[in-house]
Amino acid sequence: MNKTNGMKTFLKALGNLVKKPVTVKYPFEQTYIPDDYRGLIEFDESLCIWCRRCEMVCPPGAIVFSQDMEGKHTYHYNRAVCIYCTECVRTCPKEGAIYQTAQPASCALKAENINNGWNALFEEALKSRAAYAAEKKRLAAEKAQAAKKDSALTIKQQGKCTNSP
Amino acid sequence: MSKQYEIPVGAQHISLLEPLHFKFTTENEKIISTAANVYYVHRGIEQACCSKFKFRQVSFVVGRVCGLCSISHTTAYSQVAEKLLNLEIPRRAKYLRMLVIELDRIHSHLLCLIHVSENAGFEALFMKTMQYREFSMELLEAICGNRIQYDFSIVGGVARDLKLPVAHEVVGRLKRFKPELDELMDIFMHNWTLSLKNKGSGKITRETAMRLNVVGPFARAAGLAIDVRNETEDLLPWKEVGFEMITGEDGDVHARNIVRLKEIYVSINIIENIINGLPESELVTETKAFPDGEAVVRLEAPRGELFYYAKGNKTQVLERLKIKAPTFSNIAGMVEGFTGNEYGSVPAIIASYDPCLSCTAR
Repeated sequence: MNKTNGMKTFLKALGNLVKKPVTVKYPFEQTYIPDDYRGLIEFDESLCIWCRRCEMVCPPGAIVFSQDMEGKHTYHYNRAVCIYCTECVRTCPKEGAIYQTAQPASCALKAENINNGWNALFEEALKSRAAYAAEKKRLAAEKAQAAKKDSALTIKQQGKCTNSP
Repeated sequence: MSKQYEIPVGAQHISLLEPLHFKFTTENEKIISTAANVYYVHRGIEQACCSKFKFRQVSFVVGRVCGLCSISHTTAYSQVAEKLLNLEIPRRAKYLRMLVIELDRIHSHLLCLIHVSENAGFEALFMKTMQYREFSMELLEAICGNRIQYDFSIVGGVARDLKLPVAHEVVGRLKRFKPELDELMDIFMHNWTLSLKNKGSGKITRETAMRLNVVGPFARAAGLAIDVRNETEDLLPWKEVGFEMITGEDGDVHARNIVRLKEIYVSINIIENIINGLPESELVTETKAFPDGEAVVRLEAPRGELFYYAKGNKTQVLERLKIKAPTFSNIAGMVEGFTGNEYGSVPAIIASYDPCLSCTAR
């Protein structure tokens, strides 16, 4: 190494003493986040048509709809299970019902019981939907039966009964 | 004959980045023979893809096979699914896929160089290269919306469009990166300390590389001109965007470093060409068909040839998905490359192979 090169290195080293660090002091400074960052998924209940397509396409199963006995849907979303792939937004037939924000998700806490709690909730939601469907089926069958009885009664009363089925 | 010792390295070792086990038989610090053991991180991804997930969701699952070449896996899967569906994707989607693959190659190659310099004991170069690599991560985050898991390719096209300010930023940042890359090239070429560990170690000849079916920069450094980008034109038009084959001669750690650095120049060139001539079209071709039949796809991942095989049966769930990662092809060559080297240069040699065991074991 010749003399000028050594001097150059020395000056560069001196310059490095006063240079700002390259790293970001993370919890105190915000790291780089682009404008269209893939962040939290938001849901607008007033626009939703309850087709449940977002639930069907979601790869990790981070969205689930439960249903009460009156048939009203409730939307559940788990930010720790979500992989932010935007597949739900892409498949949604009603624009704006489900959309992505640039807001990064906060950390999952132990108190939230985000894994087991979510699994239990997921199964419960599926059960609630099955229960509603069964109830609806039962009611429909009852109604059909009642209608049949009713029509048979009226036909009998009118005395125009034929043997054809 | 002097006494022989067996030295195990791994599956957990300070110089290893991923679980990989080597058993070296040494004599006077010289390695005589090596045995390798992989598959410590088997996750059953292939089985999950064929049972739990629908075929459109699989492209997000296979992205999780590897953190470094995530886009290569998603693109390869998307292509194989498109073959099963007989789907022609829009031109713009093809170019955007190539753009992200090449940006990913830049960051993956730089990471490999970082590990080589660190494992050779050159900590200052490790930090410098890490600093220079950050631009590619930020660009990928700006394009795909996420730093590591891009989820960019989907079946039928790409998920997001390249916006104009982002395209300007990519070009500007690449322009700023070029002098930094020249500086790295100079250090890796001429640094005397680094050459002590790099030149002549981990050598593999062209004939051995050909016999053992080595792929990727590992093979190209030994003078074997194999690159999927050079061989296939039907799925992604590589030659149209200015692909050039880079080969080395010596087949040692130094040659691999130089091949990787030169490939970064080619990648920069490809990205600039893509952005300058990006065609206008739709992003996704929609279809309601189900996959049927069998298909095979090859794609050049940063580490070499990535191979996907898929079989569909006209249902939502695939019947079979097979992933063959580049590191799996390279294991035989890796074992061969150690012979005749000093035990002390093993960490640098392992890093220069750029092994990705999570890909291999899936």
